[in-house]
Amino acid sequence: MTAVLSNSETAVGETVELQIRVTGSGAKLPEEIAVDGLEIHQTGTSQRYEMNNFNLSQSVTYTYTILPMKAGKFKIPAQPIDVSGKSLRTQELVLNVTDSSGRSAQSNPKGAPPSTVDPRKIGFIELLVPKRQAYVGEIIPVEIKVCLNPRVRFQQVEPPELNAQGLTMQKFDKSTRNMETIGGATYDVTTFKTAIAAARTGKFEIPALESKAVALLARRDSSNRNTPRRRSPFDLFNIDPFNDPLFGDLALLEPQRITLRSEPATLEVKPLPPNAPPNFSGAVGNFALTTEANPKSVQVGDPITIKSTIAGRGNFDRVNAPVIDDERGWHKYPPSAKFQKDDDVGISGVKTFEMVLSPNEKKQTVPALAFSYFDPIKEQYVTLRSNPIAVQVEGNALPSAAPSAVAAAGAQPGPATPATTKPQDILYQLSDFGRAQPFTPLYARPVFWTAQLVPLFALLGLAGWKVRQAKIGNREAQRVAALHQEAADLMRRLRRNDASPQEYFSQASRAVQVKTALVRNVDPNVVDVDAAVNAFGLGETERAQLRRLFARSDEVRYSGAQNGAGTISAQDRDAVLQLIENLRA
Amino acid sequence: MKRFILNPGIYSAIIYAFLISSAFAQSDAQFAKANQEFAAGQFKEAIDDYEGLVRTGLWSANLFYDLGNAHFRNGNLGRAILNYERALALDPRHPEADANLRITRDEARALELTASRTERALRFMNLNQYAITAGIAFWVGAFGITALFFARRRSGGLLTMSILSISIFAVAMAAIVEIDNGNRGRALAIVTDTGVEARVATADNANRVLTLPPGSEIRILSKRGDWIYAALPNNLRGWISAKSAENVRL
Repeated sequence: MTAVLSNSETAVGETVELQIRVTGSGAKLPEEIAVDGLEIHQTGTSQRYEMNNFNLSQSVTYTYTILPMKAGKFKIPAQPIDVSGKSLRTQELVLNVTDSSGRSAQSNPKGAPPSTVDPRKIGFIELLVPKRQAYVGEIIPVEIKVCLNPRVRFQQVEPPELNAQGLTMQKFDKSTRNMETIGGATYDVTTFKTAIAAARTGKFEIPALESKAVALLARRDSSNRNTPRRRSPFDLFNIDPFNDPLFGDLALLEPQRITLRSEPATLEVKPLPPNAPPNFSGAVGNFALTTEANPKSVQVGDPITIKSTIAGRGNFDRVNAPVIDDERGWHKYPPSAKFQKDDDVGISGVKTFEMVLSPNEKKQTVPALAFSYFDPIKEQYVTLRSNPIAVQVEGNALPSAAPSAVAAAGAQPGPATPATTKPQDILYQLSDFGRAQPFTPLYARPVFWTAQLVPLFALLGLAGWKVRQAKIGNREAQRVAALHQEAADLMRRLRRNDASPQEYFSQASRAVQVKTALVRNVDPNVVDVDAAVNAFGLGETERAQLRRLFARSDEVRYSGAQNGAGTISAQDRDAVLQLIENLRA
Repeated sequence: MKRFILNPGIYSAIIYAFLISSAFAQSDAQFAKANQEFAAGQFKEAIDDYEGLVRTGLWSANLFYDLGNAHFRNGNLGRAILNYERALALDPRHPEADANLRITRDEARALELTASRTERALRFMNLNQYAITAGIAFWVGAFGITALFFARRRSGGLLTMSILSISIFAVAMAAIVEIDNGNRGRALAIVTDTGVEARVATADNANRVLTLPPGSEIRILSKRGDWIYAALPNNLRGWISAKSAENVRL
């Protein structure tokens, strides 16, 4: 069993909560706790079930609202509690009550209005402001709870709106929905998280938030509106469901426009202290600064991107880029900014700035960047400084680029119109129009592709010629092969003994012609005995033999088969065969 | 002879040649007039005349260089840089344009696109030179391969030359693609307006990416209505108004 106060310090008229948590069931707690100077009423209970290693445990939290009536140090006495027949006691608690309302933010973190909620209400709005005092520009997270009676069917509920001059409220991006027990009744609670900031100093009255809703409620007979409803016995204790205006004949439900309201709240806005740092841009909160530079090695005049990241919690819309401590020797360009929020409201997040610096001279470090903000907790200005980042800047300084540029161009002055002005200046006008040419690159011009036709035709010509050559070479090879074939055929026939002398000598002389044709690459029909003799470089004996052979061949061919012997002797046949076989170039 | 005199093609060619020569003569006269106006300090008039010449489509590096000078004198550094860049696009070895571009860039504090390592390595030749190299290498390789195809005996030298030529062709083609699509390629544009903000979206109130001084280089990636999406210096990307920048290549 535990008993805790939501805050041990408060002021007269400002409530705190006392929560008594009892593990187990069947505890009996008093409805009121009597302390002189404090009004303590039980305003709600909530039950919680936990399963741990298959052991189910139950705990009940009893909430009391304490309203201090006067200043002083109060002791809330130990309360006797009867749990399942066992008598237990809570510990004694101490509450300090001051008579001033100007307490620090922590003194009432919830800031909730006293939960004197009528459980029979259709709905209401709770505005939870964690601080009663703030600085100008300080972002204060705010919770708005739209509590609706779950027994009522709502057709439409508009988000609440705040209309307070001098205060800005951020748009509601998201909402969460759950069931909560408030003032002893269960409500369907939609929680909107947002943030408010004050644009001026002074005491602000945050007006009641309003939300329009359309609920389906029982239609009442107008004739009976002024006559008191007959009370049932349950009505004495306000628990008669049949007397509930929310119920009635379900068929007689009708949509009715209702307005849900919150309690008003106050906020005291203090001015920021004087003597703000020169680079203070209005950022209020708590931040951290990191920087990095890229690239680390550059030439004079090249850009270096400085990425500075400001992370933390506060009014990021007033967080500007860190400033350079010492700009000498640098040229800076306006930075870009990007914000990444870490929560739904945008109070905490990371704002990243990218700034381009260009060195005008040799440098070894990027100068430190400074960012100032006001810390509302420390109640003072804080200036963050980055460490100088080592870089390597090479090259010559750039006091004026003109002389070097002139030197670069000096090698080719060209036809010139006299320079008109200043010594440190751009170069002269050119009086020659020059060669006209298009911007289109050569490969995209038609003339380029037309020019490719020349080598293309040349290549096609070469290929055609080569193909023709190959074909010609092929015919010659076929002719040679045919001659070889004929020669081999003739030799085969000459070796047989079945040929007549006419055929034999004719074939022998043809074989000589074919062999000669193969050696000389000529037509065999034009080969005579002299051509054959010359082709093979024969000796006297072979020449004579060859002449005889051709003579015999002519003789048997032109004088008829009757001349000479009817057969050829084997000796003559061998001599002819040997002669022909020995014909080699 | 009679047929030659009556040929309509001959007449057309003569008229065409006459028109061309008269156009050149007119351009020269207008160019000289613009130069005189420049020398007399009448920069606006000179700009009008130079731009009139640009509109005729007769472009030369010297014309854009002189126009850049006129814009410089007139205080329009963004347009001065644009025209020096155009002069260098036509003649990458234009010393005066190169020198004046550097002077103007320093004065305008213009941001430059960082070329990739490959692009820097390929800069020893320009696009046209790569195109010529690719053409020659292709045909040498094609002739070599054809000769190899028909040769009875494969020559090692011919094979090596063919492979080398085709490799050179491939490298030259890759260089053309890289340069033409790179930071200094056909999509290169120059910011001509002052106070140009690159933004993350196509809206004037969108978050700012980078402030671009006049004369800054950008590479146009795409266009949408009155906005262009561009690669910016420092490896950033963003949307800028289409009216604020002009392509270098016309």
